[in-house]
Amino acid sequence: MLNFLPLDARHKLWRLATRILPVLAVCQLIPFTDAAEREPYDDRYCTTCHGTDGRGNEGIEAPRLAGMEDWYLRRQLENFRAGIRGYHPMDTAGIAMRPMAKLTDDSIADIVAWVGSWDYQPAEITIEGDVQSGELLYGVCATCHGMDAKGNAAMGAPALAGQNDWYLVTQLSNFVAGYRGRHEDDRYGQQMAAMVGTLTDESAIRDVVAYINSLETR
Amino acid sequence: MVNPVSRREFLNLLAATGGTAAALRAGTALNLLPGSASAASLDLLNLGSNQRKIAILGGGISGLTAAYELSKQGYDCTVLEASHRCGGRVMTLRHGDLIDEIGNRQYCEFDDEPHMYFNAGAARIPSTHRNLLAYCKELNVELEVFINENKTSFVQDDNMLGGRPIRNIDYTTNMRGFMAELMAKAMNSDELDAPFTESEAETLLSMIRSFGDLNENDLYSGSFRAGYAEGGFLKHGVQKDMIAFRDLLKSRLGRQMMGANEGDTGPILMQPVGGMDKIISGFLNHVGEQVKYRAMVTSVQVTDKGVNVAYDQDGVRHSLEVDYCFNCIPTHLMVGIDHNFPSDYVTAMKYVRRGEAYKAAFQAKRRFWEDLDIYGGISWSNTKSRQLWYPTHGIHKAKGIVLGAYDYGGGMYHTMMSQEERIEAHLADHEKIHPDFRELVEKPVTIGWHRMNHMLGCSARWSRNFGRGWTHEEETLYHTLQAPVNGRHYFIGDQISMHSAWQESAVMSAQWALSHMDAQVRAELA
Ligand SMILES: Cc1cc2nc3c(=O)[nH]c(=O)nc-3n(C[C@H](O)[C@H](O)[C@H](O)COP(=O)(O)OP(=O)(O)OC[C@H]3O[C@@H](n4cnc5c(N)ncnc54)[C@H](O)[C@@H]3O)c2cc1C
Repeated sequence: MLNFLPLDARHKLWRLATRILPVLAVCQLIPFTDAAEREPYDDRYCTTCHGTDGRGNEGIEAPRLAGMEDWYLRRQLENFRAGIRGYHPMDTAGIAMRPMAKLTDDSIADIVAWVGSWDYQPAEITIEGDVQSGELLYGVCATCHGMDAKGNAAMGAPALAGQNDWYLVTQLSNFVAGYRGRHEDDRYGQQMAAMVGTLTDESAIRDVVAYINSLETR
Repeated sequence: MVNPVSRREFLNLLAATGGTAAALRAGTALNLLPGSASAASLDLLNLGSNQRKIAILGGGISGLTAAYELSKQGYDCTVLEASHRCGGRVMTLRHGDLIDEIGNRQYCEFDDEPHMYFNAGAARIPSTHRNLLAYCKELNVELEVFINENKTSFVQDDNMLGGRPIRNIDYTTNMRGFMAELMAKAMNSDELDAPFTESEAETLLSMIRSFGDLNENDLYSGSFRAGYAEGGFLKHGVQKDMIAFRDLLKSRLGRQMMGANEGDTGPILMQPVGGMDKIISGFLNHVGEQVKYRAMVTSVQVTDKGVNVAYDQDGVRHSLEVDYCFNCIPTHLMVGIDHNFPSDYVTAMKYVRRGEAYKAAFQAKRRFWEDLDIYGGISWSNTKSRQLWYPTHGIHKAKGIVLGAYDYGGGMYHTMMSQEERIEAHLADHEKIHPDFRELVEKPVTIGWHRMNHMLGCSARWSRNFGRGWTHEEETLYHTLQAPVNGRHYFIGDQISMHSAWQESAVMSAQWALSHMDAQVRAELA
């Protein structure tokens, strides 16, 4: 092939080809745009809403992530992604979270590891209630979440102590009202929904949260 | 038949209106209403050989205003901006730009041409926004006219005329005609003498006639103002048929049609040539070096002597000690950032609700609206997409960018949808106005401000008392947040104004804070 060309011309052609071919190969990988110049982005946007080091932001109703168990965080992210959580129109904060959990498995793993690196500080107390009556109500909760509310991985129950109290109130209200934990694929959520029967009104919810507030955080 | 307004009611109404107008005139004459407050009036002390360090949190237009003004006077400013870009809600989208909506990241694929841009946030400048305009002049930002109200654009409502779109001019000409007829009937009565002299009454009646283009019998019988059914140039024009009043009343879009010349959104506004962010570039030409990008503020601690700020950049936490701090980070995000603000301040921060603005745009493959005699302006429809904006710029070029949705108050409807659903919704809505809209457009972009990274809302809503104004408590909370913490930390941005969602408010809030700080610095140095 190309034998009709003089040798040095053949060499020149070969050198040109070795330079062009890799470029052509790369061009095939990059979609037909100027993608290389485009502003990159990643999925580490959690702190925009969840606040500095994931300590929670009441202004956005975004709860604290710092200190959250890695298995619990992963499960909730997967639930949001799958529409198992944040499906009910009345769960406004859950609905807001759903599109933000459009994440790949890799991104979820990265976020879980990132959250694990954050400094943990217990949340500010904002809710008041009757601690004594809350203690009685907490009896049921203790079965899974532990007497000290520090959670129980074996039961799939996360720590409650140290979480933003306003978030606990919203979630308990959501479980009671059926805005969370009614999805057929939400095994743990269903379990939880079945346990909130004793929380008959808003003050019962506040009382039990006030009791959790009184417990030592980790 | 329409029930006429009783004559007595009508006269009372006229008298009342006359009263307001008189008060307004006196007010302006006595300088009770806002007078001139041009940027030139900002008289900051030049530091000379003195030194002061400033942190500016957020590169929104208010933050950049502070950086620009203070740098001029010898202050050492650092702007910390969490995003990859400055401007915040002043965002112009062009070829290749990233739209950092959480859960819906997009790149803008518009053709790469100067007129192919979309102002996804701020888009219009009224002539009364003096401080902003003064900066445009000072920063050499070239302005052009923005046609906001265009009589040849459409109005479409499924409830009106079987959903057939009609021209704005058909709607308004007929509506004005009928309204004028009603008014003229009320005026042609003996009871009229009461509030008016004979010559006043005559003048008023002639106004009413010309308002509605009434005939010699004070009746509305159609008008050439709506254009011609045919002819008009080489042949006599043929008048269009009237549209029945009852039919027009089927639509509530009159609010947009008849009220379009209200202050901030008057018929003719302005825009920077090439995109609203030319104002941001104008500032950055002077203070660009002082901006740290992708620098997310994580802590603001006010001390006796100044403010300690911490921020994350490239995975590292940095700290910055300054004398004064100007902060335009949205209050709802600031709640989640470490701070040592006093509790009344925190209460005020938590009180502010976040708005839900939403916009979308398409690249049009050809400027199909110009074939329909439309040059700029807005078509209104009773759909969720609400508005269709035809670009004023790029007239007669091959393509253009149309705004395909703008919902200021109820933007969550589209924000909640997936990207595909949003686009389909806009295509379907605008097919009611331009039947082949779907084929005429491509390369959509959508922006749910409620989900934009580092923003999560537009704009601050102070009043929960919609339509009834601010409560006394709300005014108090507002003034709490406007006042500096310890004289060192100032909140700025349109969130610290009573007229949010305007750049002018953001600029003025910064100027207010700068003047306040200036007084302190003068005292320190005296
Ligand atoms: C859809 C829409 C239409 C509009 N139309 C008009 C119009 O026609 N005319 C007009 O004049 N105005 C209009 N506005 C309003 C105008 O855009 C705003 O009033 C103005 O831009 C607000 O400026 P700002 O200085 O308050 O800051 P913002 O623009 O709110 O900027 C805040 C900045 O803070 C940054 N930030 C957030 N968190 C952090 C952090 N942790 N650390 C560091 N930085 C952070 C953000 O990235 C952002 O850059 C419109 C707005 C929208 C959304």
